[in-house]
Amino acid sequence: MDVNAFLDGFGLVTEPQNLLYCLIGVLIGMLIGVLPGLGPAATIAILLPITYSIDPVSAIIMLAGIYYGAQYGGTITSVLLRLPGEASSVVTVFDGFALAKQGKAGTALGIAAIGSFVGATVSILGLTLVAPLIAGWALSFGDPEYAALALLGVLLVATIGNGNKLKAMIAAALGLLLATVGRDSFSGAERFTFGSLQLTEGIDFVVVAMGLFGVGEILYNLEERHGKPHVPAAVANIWPSRKDLKQSSGAIGRGSLIGFVLGVLPGGGAVMSSLAAYATEKRISKKPERFGRGAIEGVAAPETANNAAATSSFIPLLTLGIPANASMAMLFGALLILGISPGPQLVDERPDLFWGVINSMYIGNLILLVLSIPLVGIFVRILRVRPAILAPITALITILGVYTINNSTFDIFVMIVFGLIGYLMKKVGFEPGPMVLAFVLGSIVEDGFRRSMLIFDGDPTGFFTRPISGTILAAFVLVALWPAVKAIRARRRAATAAAAPTDRDHVDTPTR
Amino acid sequence: MRTTTHLLAATAGVAALALSACGVSNTAGGGSGGEEYPSGNVEMYVGASAGGSSDLISRAVSKGLADELGASFPVINQEGANGALAANKVAKAKADGQTIAIQNASLFAITPLAVSEDEVTNLDDFDVVQGVSRDDYVMVTGPKSGFKTLDDIKAAKKKVTYGTTGVGTGAQLSCGLTYASAGVDAEAVPFDGGAPALTAVLGNQVDTACIQVGEAIENIESGKLTPLSVFGPERVEYLPDVPTAKEQGLDVEVAQYRFMTVPKGTPDEVKDAIAEAMQATFKTEEYQAFNEQNSLTPMEISGDEVVAQLEEDKKRFADMVEQYGLDLGAS
Repeated sequence: MDVNAFLDGFGLVTEPQNLLYCLIGVLIGMLIGVLPGLGPAATIAILLPITYSIDPVSAIIMLAGIYYGAQYGGTITSVLLRLPGEASSVVTVFDGFALAKQGKAGTALGIAAIGSFVGATVSILGLTLVAPLIAGWALSFGDPEYAALALLGVLLVATIGNGNKLKAMIAAALGLLLATVGRDSFSGAERFTFGSLQLTEGIDFVVVAMGLFGVGEILYNLEERHGKPHVPAAVANIWPSRKDLKQSSGAIGRGSLIGFVLGVLPGGGAVMSSLAAYATEKRISKKPERFGRGAIEGVAAPETANNAAATSSFIPLLTLGIPANASMAMLFGALLILGISPGPQLVDERPDLFWGVINSMYIGNLILLVLSIPLVGIFVRILRVRPAILAPITALITILGVYTINNSTFDIFVMIVFGLIGYLMKKVGFEPGPMVLAFVLGSIVEDGFRRSMLIFDGDPTGFFTRPISGTILAAFVLVALWPAVKAIRARRRAATAAAAPTDRDHVDTPTR
Repeated sequence: MRTTTHLLAATAGVAALALSACGVSNTAGGGSGGEEYPSGNVEMYVGASAGGSSDLISRAVSKGLADELGASFPVINQEGANGALAANKVAKAKADGQTIAIQNASLFAITPLAVSEDEVTNLDDFDVVQGVSRDDYVMVTGPKSGFKTLDDIKAAKKKVTYGTTGVGTGAQLSCGLTYASAGVDAEAVPFDGGAPALTAVLGNQVDTACIQVGEAIENIESGKLTPLSVFGPERVEYLPDVPTAKEQGLDVEVAQYRFMTVPKGTPDEVKDAIAEAMQATFKTEEYQAFNEQNSLTPMEISGDEVVAQLEEDKKRFADMVEQYGLDLGAS
């Protein structure tokens, strides 16, 4: 790493003009993050013409700010309104919304902001120090690895809910089925599109999530609250207490690492990281049953991880010239328009831009933290709003959000259908979470598996002989068999205990 | 405080609306003909998501048209079915030039070879106004594959895999025809667009890949990818050392090109106004720099010439696919 170029980059960022663009960028990002659907990619597209007239470095600092600023904004709707604006926030909903219901929305948002800041900062440090190294690793991650990782993800999906395992599995299976809708990307055949051109591209994640979570919740509340007087939800503690901070510090640390590593993977990295971070916390927790009922770690871990992942997804763009997601593709286009080609030569050709952008992220994230902490106090008051007012606002956000994805009214109707499904699911005790997550992972598993089989020329042993996919599959088997192993061990202990009542294990057995 | 919350939500919503429709209608331009064109905003549909080359080209032209004609030309992304959804919007719009789209040749010449008949977009629904630019494909291979030239591949002992940018794309057709006509045993691996195909060939997950020049050029210049062939009628300005497939003895010529379309039956004055404004845009330095930066070759021919080329390509591709028994649909 060229230390001088790095320091020059800092000098560049602290120029008043660049600081201003950084501030504008993160502010816009935070606002659009609140609106699901209108993602950073579309916003960057809309603002592209403005960037023609300003300095390239300032322009990219602003556009990058929109991208990571949106990650902060998305948390707010997930926690307060149960509207996950993107796949990587779905997991946050479980405990975030539960906390909000208990009057601890402020705690959840505060911890999320702190976690996001820490995660992003750890990730930028990683980006500064080991970007080329980790980029090489991302390249050796091929389709067999994606298939294995997403398969592990599907398994985790079924275990993270706090309800009935069987119901979670049924919901996940439905999600996998939904993922097959659309034109088959290998043969061009239509699957479950019923002759509708609108369905050829499949169903968008936001449409499913807004319907199942947002509209479903509105419908359910309408019924539940019918006739009852409105009692404003208590907004108890706005600030995370020292105890909360202590409780989440481990989750934030682990989430940062998981997010940084998985975020480098193009496509699905951010979703997998939030899922993996949550699952890890639940596994190592002494009281896993708290998860899904308002565990603060359940918010800290995924929010930290998805911000870390958002940041590390800059690595493939800046070092390999590969855009890892739609927003990165838009940044790629913006750089081209400004006369800069992102790729392996960027760091040597335009060190000012390379380090300027990276270093602006340190500052941008600091701005976001400073901005979002006082705003938490304002945002949580949204919960005091009467449902008669809040429900239409939520409905408006979902409809606007879904329309902006693809300028399609058809999508709005699809969302409403999912709203009805979400309502019915909730009535009979199904969680929408596993369904949505399995839906996202389904196409990764399928495409990865089918592409791998083409690459392996039809020989499936390749999945086990490649080091990374083999390791992931071993982990899969371990996770899958763990409950069975535990049960057998418990039974054996019980048997020994019964045979020898004086045995030391005796004390443990009743709880096992 | 409650109002603050509402305000925040409202601001976000309004900002979003304002952003997506920030047009000022102004009908100062034009002048000739009976009716003024354009009357208000002109919607420009794109059949791809924001950020790809189709989108960027539309945005560059949209800016030029706005400058020339004095109205706003907002770009509306409607991704799906290789661009068929956006095409449908234009085909069904009123034929007054207020709904237009720059479309891709592949949708008319290549996609019909991969999908069922009732999903085919028909060229008869449109009037082609003006050609825009050509976006060439290049076949690349990673350094670890051991291939240096097309001849190395012809001599390959094992089955060769090739990444493409998807089913029914020019990338699939160019790579597929190359292997078929060279008689090489090869397997297509379709990816979801150019970026994942690029990732796969860089990481040696596939032996070769056909992708657009603009996406590959940085890695070619830095030596991380070896270019084997381009598929245009002549060499690409941006990769002067890379021979065409024809030069290497293979009868393969495939290129993606884009052109402006309006609904069938649009008045000639309107079409002329658009064509003139586009030609004026092509002359600007800004637009020329854009082409260069994105490795695009100008193909600024008339609408009739575009139609003739499309018809010819369509027939040629269909014949070749049949001759070599290439199945674009089933992988």
